[in-house]
Amino acid sequence: MLWIALHLPRLSFESWLAVRPPDQREQPAALMGAREVLMCNPAAQRLGVRPGLQRVTALALAPQLHLGQADAARDRQALTSVAHVALAFTPAVCWADASESAAAHTVLLQVQASLRYFGGLAALLQRLRAALAPLNCTVRFASAPTAKGAAVLACCADNGSNELHAADLSQLERLLDAAPLWLIGTGRPQSDQLDSMGLGTFGALRRLPRQALLRRFGRALLDEIDTVLGARCESPPAWITLPETFEARIELQTRADTTDQLLHGAQLLIEPLLAWARAQQARVRRCTLFMHHERHRRQGGDVPATTELSIALAEASCDAAHLSVLLRERLAHLSLPAPTLELRLHCADVVRGSLHSAELFTSARGEREGLIRLIERLQARLGAQQVQRLLPVADHRPECDGALHAASADAVGPAASTARRSSPARHAMPEHGRSTAQAVSAPRPLWLLNEPQRLPERQSRPWLDGQPLQLLCGPERIEAGWWDAPLAGRDYFIAQTPDGALVWLYRARLPLSVAEDAQGWFVHGRFG
Amino acid sequence: MSAPSPPLPPSAVCTASAFGAIPEHLRPVLWRGDQMDGAFDRALPSGFATLDAQLPGGGWPRRALTELLLPHPGVGEIRLLGPCLTAIQQQGRLVMLFDPPARLSAQALTQLGFDAGQLLVVHTRARVIPGSDSLWAFEQALKSGHVGATLAWLPPRLRADRLRRLQVAAQAHDGPAFVLREWAAQQRPTAAPLRLALRAGGADRLELKMLKRRGPPLGSPIMLDLSPVLSDALHEQAWRRQRDMAQPAPQLVEPHVHESSQVGGQVCSSRVEAMPLPAATFVSLV
Repeated sequence: MLWIALHLPRLSFESWLAVRPPDQREQPAALMGAREVLMCNPAAQRLGVRPGLQRVTALALAPQLHLGQADAARDRQALTSVAHVALAFTPAVCWADASESAAAHTVLLQVQASLRYFGGLAALLQRLRAALAPLNCTVRFASAPTAKGAAVLACCADNGSNELHAADLSQLERLLDAAPLWLIGTGRPQSDQLDSMGLGTFGALRRLPRQALLRRFGRALLDEIDTVLGARCESPPAWITLPETFEARIELQTRADTTDQLLHGAQLLIEPLLAWARAQQARVRRCTLFMHHERHRRQGGDVPATTELSIALAEASCDAAHLSVLLRERLAHLSLPAPTLELRLHCADVVRGSLHSAELFTSARGEREGLIRLIERLQARLGAQQVQRLLPVADHRPECDGALHAASADAVGPAASTARRSSPARHAMPEHGRSTAQAVSAPRPLWLLNEPQRLPERQSRPWLDGQPLQLLCGPERIEAGWWDAPLAGRDYFIAQTPDGALVWLYRARLPLSVAEDAQGWFVHGRFG
Repeated sequence: MSAPSPPLPPSAVCTASAFGAIPEHLRPVLWRGDQMDGAFDRALPSGFATLDAQLPGGGWPRRALTELLLPHPGVGEIRLLGPCLTAIQQQGRLVMLFDPPARLSAQALTQLGFDAGQLLVVHTRARVIPGSDSLWAFEQALKSGHVGATLAWLPPRLRADRLRRLQVAAQAHDGPAFVLREWAAQQRPTAAPLRLALRAGGADRLELKMLKRRGPPLGSPIMLDLSPVLSDALHEQAWRRQRDMAQPAPQLVEPHVHESSQVGGQVCSSRVEAMPLPAATFVSLV
């Protein structure tokens, strides 16, 4: 049985610092426990701040020190994301025993069954490293034949590479000999007792006679040693299961007024979301971002507590860059009633199923997915109504012969010919509509003026832009539309400007029956 | 004429100048000004043999901007591009139009052979800051590389660096990218490797002047017969009429906006005398 242990020694600090904007992360910052400094960054260390100092001492050394409070829930959420990343590689993932304080931030993966699929331990570790990289955490890797052994190895893998690997039990014994004793056993009190006996490392303890150890420390310590070294069966762990819905929150340490601040916070939630989705081989189709606002006392109840931003994707995606582009464009258009204090991301709508394999050459499916992304991006910025498709409508009036519909991203592209028939936008063009559209054999101008432009008439011919028009053919009578607008009775002509361009003119069919401003010549279109 | 940017070994340049002919293996990066550049990979036929003969590579270039300068919309530009665009649609690829200058008639598009399902119209000018989004949207479409063909009506007086940026983006675009700009833009240089000035040359005719191409300069404009709006007889009649007018063609370089004073009263009145307009001359369409 092969186990991989992931130990995150600076998880509390890193998950707290990640919320700060990138340019402020280099400034001195320290994370406080109940009373003393737990961890600090190099900038704070240069000023003399080190773990264990009191708050006042730390502030006296570095007055500009940014202090934060350790939060068990935040740590748990960050650790859960790491577990979700691990779940994409094996279904058997568990926490290291929580009673051991040193191994608190450790995730264990049983990978024996996954080795063949991923092509060996080295390849698996490489993919695991790549998958964990977006979370921006310091991770120590260890692999060992026993779970506890791997956990202990990971905790003491603070060498340069942050990795320790034991291929078999004898190698594990060798590597563990140098491990400090407080990592194993029942914690600090016992290790202090052992320390006072002159036993500092695991190796020193292991070489003592077992009977003597049993007499002095009881059965538990011996069992512990045997478990670590694989001489005794481990009790079955409680495997981590994936929640049905994704829920993550982040506290923005500041009152976020701008889109950039919100976007930075929201992007920190995207990677955990995608880790959750990838763990079940799924892609996100819809997620919702909740922005919890600051309560204004003066304004009372007219400020909503929460603003909701729902992001729906036409094609489910597992791409962080695409999601964050959509999020940025949507956030840029949002006006918020009050500063935001906290963000929450919720997702329950995913598409399960294997991803398409990457393609070396372009294909129709790849092109369609690319188009859908392009249209989503355009719609996110310009608005859904600005990306349109033009559908013919069975109407003889030229101003009504086409209808613009907002393009739905899933009804486009080369693979859409079957999907298009069932698309709801299709109802605008029933079958007889198409036949009518094709049956109009008379030429129609490509460009239509929004409003027909009235033309002056001199020497009994219409003039456009100070030039006379030469009528070439016509009239073509269009008389329709009594049912939804004033009856359009017009005689259309094709005319030519002196430079040769063709325009489309009309004249009211019954000049005396229409109002004064509807008499005379009108230009309605140009032949493009 | 753009110079080849990649550095060449000096020996290759010497060979070229010594023998007067450029070795074939240097052709994509090096060409002489009096030869046509054949480096456009697989240019798309425009559907007009006369035009294809004059276009480098024998058609509309892919992965490059093609600039069309028009005095006003409606000179026959869509009928010029129609054969190429409909061929792209028949391959199952999408055609995107950015900021068309007026409403498009769906029936006219159908008559020209367009497939409405493979056509997207993007409007960007409704936004608060005009022009800021139109270039962004066009650039996104070019960069995505998944659109079959793009047509963009760019905002007037576009800065040269903006166009250069679009030209760089067009290198990722596997298809023709047409930008349609105002007539006055021909006074200014362009980053697009192909630039044409279009003007109506009569009924169903297009006068096309090649302002810039990778090849020898072309002095005389090309006359193209577009797919006819009018029937043949009418077409002939209209063409004859225009020839009879013998109106001096305005210079191609100047902006093609005719003030009423420019036309001159005498010309107009004589034309009216020559061709009175009785209502009976109208020919009904069949």
